[in-house]
Amino acid sequence: MEKVLLKNLGKPGSHTLANYVASGGYKAFSTALKMKPDNIIQMVKDSGLRGRGGAGFSTGLKWSFIPKDPTLQKYLCCNADEGEPGTFKDRGIIDHDPHLLIEGMAISCYAIGASKSYIYIRGEFVFGAERLQEAIDEAYANGYLGKNIQGSGFDLDMYVHRGFGAYICGEETALLESIEGYRAQPRKKPPFPALAGLYGKPTVINNVETLSCIPAIVEKGPEWFSKMGPVKSPGPKIYCVSGHVKKPGLYELPMGTTARDIIYNHCGGMLRDGKPLKAFIPGGVSAPLLMPADLDTPLDFDSLAAKGTMLGSGAVIVMDTSTCMVKTAYIINRFFSHESCGKCTPCRDGTPWLTRILKRIEHGEGRPGDLELLDGVCDNIFGRTFCPLGDGAVMALRGALKNFREEFQYHIDHKRCMVS
Amino acid sequence: MVTVKINGKEITVEDNTLILDAARDAGYEIPTFCYQADLMGIGSCRMCLVEIEGQKKLQPSCVTPVLHGMSINTDSGTVQTARAGVLEFLLANHAMDCPVCDKGGECELQDMVHKHGPHKGRHAEPKFKFHDKDYVLSPVIIKNSNRCVQCMKCVRVCREVVGQNVLGALGRGDHQEPTSFFRAFMNCEMDGNCIEVCPVGCFMRLPYRYKSRPWDLKSSDTICPYCATGCRMVIEERAGTLMRAKAQLGVGLNSETLCARGRFGQDFVNNPERINQPLVRRYGKLEPVTWEEAISHIKENLTALDGDKIGGIASPRLTNEELYLFQKLMREVLGSPNIDSSSRFSPDAVEGFVAATGMGEGGVSVYDCMEADTVLIIGTHLSDENPVIDYIVRRISASRRMNVIIASPRAMKLDSSANIVLRHNVASENAVLTSLVIGLNEGKLADTLKGMHEAQLDANLKASGVSADLISTVVNRLAASSSIAIIAGTDFLRYPEGISGLGLLKDLLKSRGKKVTVMPVLDRANQRGAWEMGVHPGFGPGYSETRKGLGTEGMLDAAMKGELEALYVVGSDVASMYPGDDFARTALSKVGFLIVQDMFMTETARQAHVVLPGAAHAEKDGTYTNQEGRAQVIKKLLTAPGRAKQDINIIRAIGESFDRSFGPKHFALVLDEIRKEVPSYADVSLSFNNKRNTDNKLDNRGALVKAAAAPAVKVKSFNPASVETSGARFILTTGNHLFHSGRSSMKSETLLGLLKGAVVEISEEDAASLGLKSGEKVRVKGANFEAQMTLLTKKGTKSGVAFIAENFDDAPVNRYFRRGGGIPRVDIIKTI
Repeated sequence: MEKVLLKNLGKPGSHTLANYVASGGYKAFSTALKMKPDNIIQMVKDSGLRGRGGAGFSTGLKWSFIPKDPTLQKYLCCNADEGEPGTFKDRGIIDHDPHLLIEGMAISCYAIGASKSYIYIRGEFVFGAERLQEAIDEAYANGYLGKNIQGSGFDLDMYVHRGFGAYICGEETALLESIEGYRAQPRKKPPFPALAGLYGKPTVINNVETLSCIPAIVEKGPEWFSKMGPVKSPGPKIYCVSGHVKKPGLYELPMGTTARDIIYNHCGGMLRDGKPLKAFIPGGVSAPLLMPADLDTPLDFDSLAAKGTMLGSGAVIVMDTSTCMVKTAYIINRFFSHESCGKCTPCRDGTPWLTRILKRIEHGEGRPGDLELLDGVCDNIFGRTFCPLGDGAVMALRGALKNFREEFQYHIDHKRCMVS
Repeated sequence: MVTVKINGKEITVEDNTLILDAARDAGYEIPTFCYQADLMGIGSCRMCLVEIEGQKKLQPSCVTPVLHGMSINTDSGTVQTARAGVLEFLLANHAMDCPVCDKGGECELQDMVHKHGPHKGRHAEPKFKFHDKDYVLSPVIIKNSNRCVQCMKCVRVCREVVGQNVLGALGRGDHQEPTSFFRAFMNCEMDGNCIEVCPVGCFMRLPYRYKSRPWDLKSSDTICPYCATGCRMVIEERAGTLMRAKAQLGVGLNSETLCARGRFGQDFVNNPERINQPLVRRYGKLEPVTWEEAISHIKENLTALDGDKIGGIASPRLTNEELYLFQKLMREVLGSPNIDSSSRFSPDAVEGFVAATGMGEGGVSVYDCMEADTVLIIGTHLSDENPVIDYIVRRISASRRMNVIIASPRAMKLDSSANIVLRHNVASENAVLTSLVIGLNEGKLADTLKGMHEAQLDANLKASGVSADLISTVVNRLAASSSIAIIAGTDFLRYPEGISGLGLLKDLLKSRGKKVTVMPVLDRANQRGAWEMGVHPGFGPGYSETRKGLGTEGMLDAAMKGELEALYVVGSDVASMYPGDDFARTALSKVGFLIVQDMFMTETARQAHVVLPGAAHAEKDGTYTNQEGRAQVIKKLLTAPGRAKQDINIIRAIGESFDRSFGPKHFALVLDEIRKEVPSYADVSLSFNNKRNTDNKLDNRGALVKAAAAPAVKVKSFNPASVETSGARFILTTGNHLFHSGRSSMKSETLLGLLKGAVVEISEEDAASLGLKSGEKVRVKGANFEAQMTLLTKKGTKSGVAFIAENFDDAPVNRYFRRGGGIPRVDIIKTI
């Protein structure tokens, strides 16, 4: 398959404007500037592009919610907070092909009528932030950003905003709070950001990967895009594979590639012979894990949802039989309780409780009834939290409990681990 | 309007009503922690989750508006499980030290767990602990974060209502703690609203710590006796000691908010220095006597005196009933027209102010003012003088589109909520208002304004020190507004020249077809009541015509000439409030027979021939009329110490000693007489106090007094205030400090703990140019007085303005002033 998102990865100097333009970059932007903004939104709608941040909402539809009033200030925020453990796809684009993102954002801003845009980048990505800033400076210097871009009368400013190191900053409304200078805690919805987002103005928030798809859609047309992968979630997808495989890394494949194809074909199979696959997480740690029996599931939004899990950010974490699922569940849960922002009660007080129980079980201090207690606490968290963080924590734990209950029970009964 | 079904009951409510409000209106209870009507909803505690038909997840009712046709269940099995689940989570890390917690017995968490379960906990893990020992945040606030339920009401009230932004949250997840950086606490206003909104024992009052259990307290619902905002509060006592004062959610115009004085300053009632027996001067010494002796002594000395040679001064902190009886005693029994209620403001200024603010036209609600397109606040440092009005302006102006314009020489907290701030010179309110009037006329002078020439604009701008640009911005806003509210403060009484400008602007705006509401803001609880009861030398009860008499100034003049044979002072400390160094003292010493009725041995009382022990607000029944004209009830909780008596009984006893038929026997009967004699009070009812308002509808309109029949008051013009011509750098202005109100708050142990020594406030720039820093000791040197005090600098105050509050005993600000002299100038010198 011809690569769309990672096409420049690995080429020397791929991050420079000169090389990006030489490989055909910013052509789509020039084309877009000659189009009517509404036509671009229609194109993106037609392409069937769905947000790559996790929720999989139609990008074109999201853009069309932005009020058309030209006197209103509108914003585009690029969510580059990439905090989901196991995910490192956006970083590839930011570090090696920043102009792809900038071009995608520029086209998107033109389409929705935003004259200011922010890239909210995870605070730990110091290199990425610097690289983005260099690229933005280059774009300004060459007339791809700034006032009256290419004589079209369209103005666009772009800012890099470094995050403050919290997972919750990746939640879109918490991200807005953070840009505004407040503590990153999610806002109540409605009003949705499309009507009242950053500084109370209409705002679109899209993931890096989503925005990076835009230039190709404009250049090659929505039909080309919609023919790639399954009908309902077409397009290219970057899978970040980590864990017990021979060749972990970024793989740009058509949406809907099966896990079997990714693990055994693209990644060269399991890491160690004699240690077959035990389970894999298809979309970052919030997604419930899948079993070897599910290897032939296409990794796209709808197929995974049908399996009770989700594509999320497309972070595939592969675990072989040497993995202790109790420890895995504990570590994942500890992450969520550490990252809970503290706003709502079930997540704030529920996830640490789960962590305490899991820690006990993991350390051989499990008590009879602990599994029922875990189930009960999960029930009290799920669906009652303010934002999906708490739900994510519960879904991940429930996945492990459902498939590996006897392993948890073994920990409690025998005060030691089943696998090691 | 939308129609929704709640628990099967169909109800119709306004669009965008929250499910929670709709359900509560319909009579269903939904428990909450983080919801508060006055604060922006955050939907975080998840106690209020309800089931909406057709929605998979439970929804937080406190942030979800109703939609037409919604079917809501507030009490289904799922909802009940969710509530119990949330409570279980809250208890997971909760300290569970109820037996030693001050909140025990009135804790919302306790109540909710009792009601909604779970009654058995499953959390058997080590709890997260913030700290081992409670920490003291300020002289009035102590905190235990281990009990926190993270509703963030403290942080939100501090930011959204008080506007001080002292509190914030640190940490994340279950380590999240509402607190502050300690340096920020130095800016705390000590109002304790964080304590009031705290549903659990996290923020607690330090003075009340370990003193009592809520079930041991007896309480009464009353009105704060400090400024004239008229905040409703509940005062509570145990074994005869007043323990605390607190506000109630959804009750009174203040709802759950109070200021530092109101919440912590009520303990002056317990002060051991209270006078507890009548005293009569014998052989130069004040000696205890019985009430009978005291009254007959008074009768002896007053009988056969010419009424014109008797004077009476009553405190504007007495109740309407007491004040009414007082003027009745003076006018009808003693035959004296010499009555006043203030030692600070001239009777003429009062009359002009009453007329210009239209007090005779009946009460004006602060909530009406806040519905205007533009609110102009002038002549008051609102944030310090009437903090709760400041809260209301901040809260409402943040939630709707309106202009807030503040004109004041001194910077204030509310400036941050204002669209335009006019920093004018001291005593130049008239110049500011006249500039606005000229600007609004745009050259087309109305009849009433003939003779006022546009060239005057320059003179007025120069006098006020405000730029023409700012004035024209304000003029444009005023011109574009269809309704305007003017909030006018006591500076108009200090510098009465501004009164004519106020009247002029009001009339002009009205003539332009705009709706104009004027609300006076005053600094003594029943100042308006005192005037409406006719405790004024120029008008009788209900602003009626009466024989003119002398005001405080005239009485002291007469005394100086030896022409005042008797003076009856109730609750007023003339000697320490009247401008000038020794004038009042000398004048009082020349009064033939001085009766002082007070709670404390004041400067004035020390000179008296008879001292009568009066009662505090907590010890009496009656009504107060606040600045808006809301007649509200105060209720007796305690008995006055020793042989002290309610002031109403003392006044009546004196009256009865002359005329057996004087005065009704009970305050309620006096109120009946007031209702008959003062038509504007005809509808005043004692039941207003017990009315609980529904959430966020705090405007108890029934309590507003009606218009007076024919107010005998006129807007007057006054000469411009002169400023002393000495070369000193600062112009001295005065008012009340945030922590104090008059002198009675100086008897509150808690408020003295917050601030005892005098403070002088100047602008940061002035301090820098003098090489002075905030917090340094300085000498403030005037023409006839100097004292040492602490310097406080404020950003944004007009250069050349020094402020010393009128409250301090160690630097009596009245001594800087000179009777009949201009506004004093002072120099500020570093103490070596």
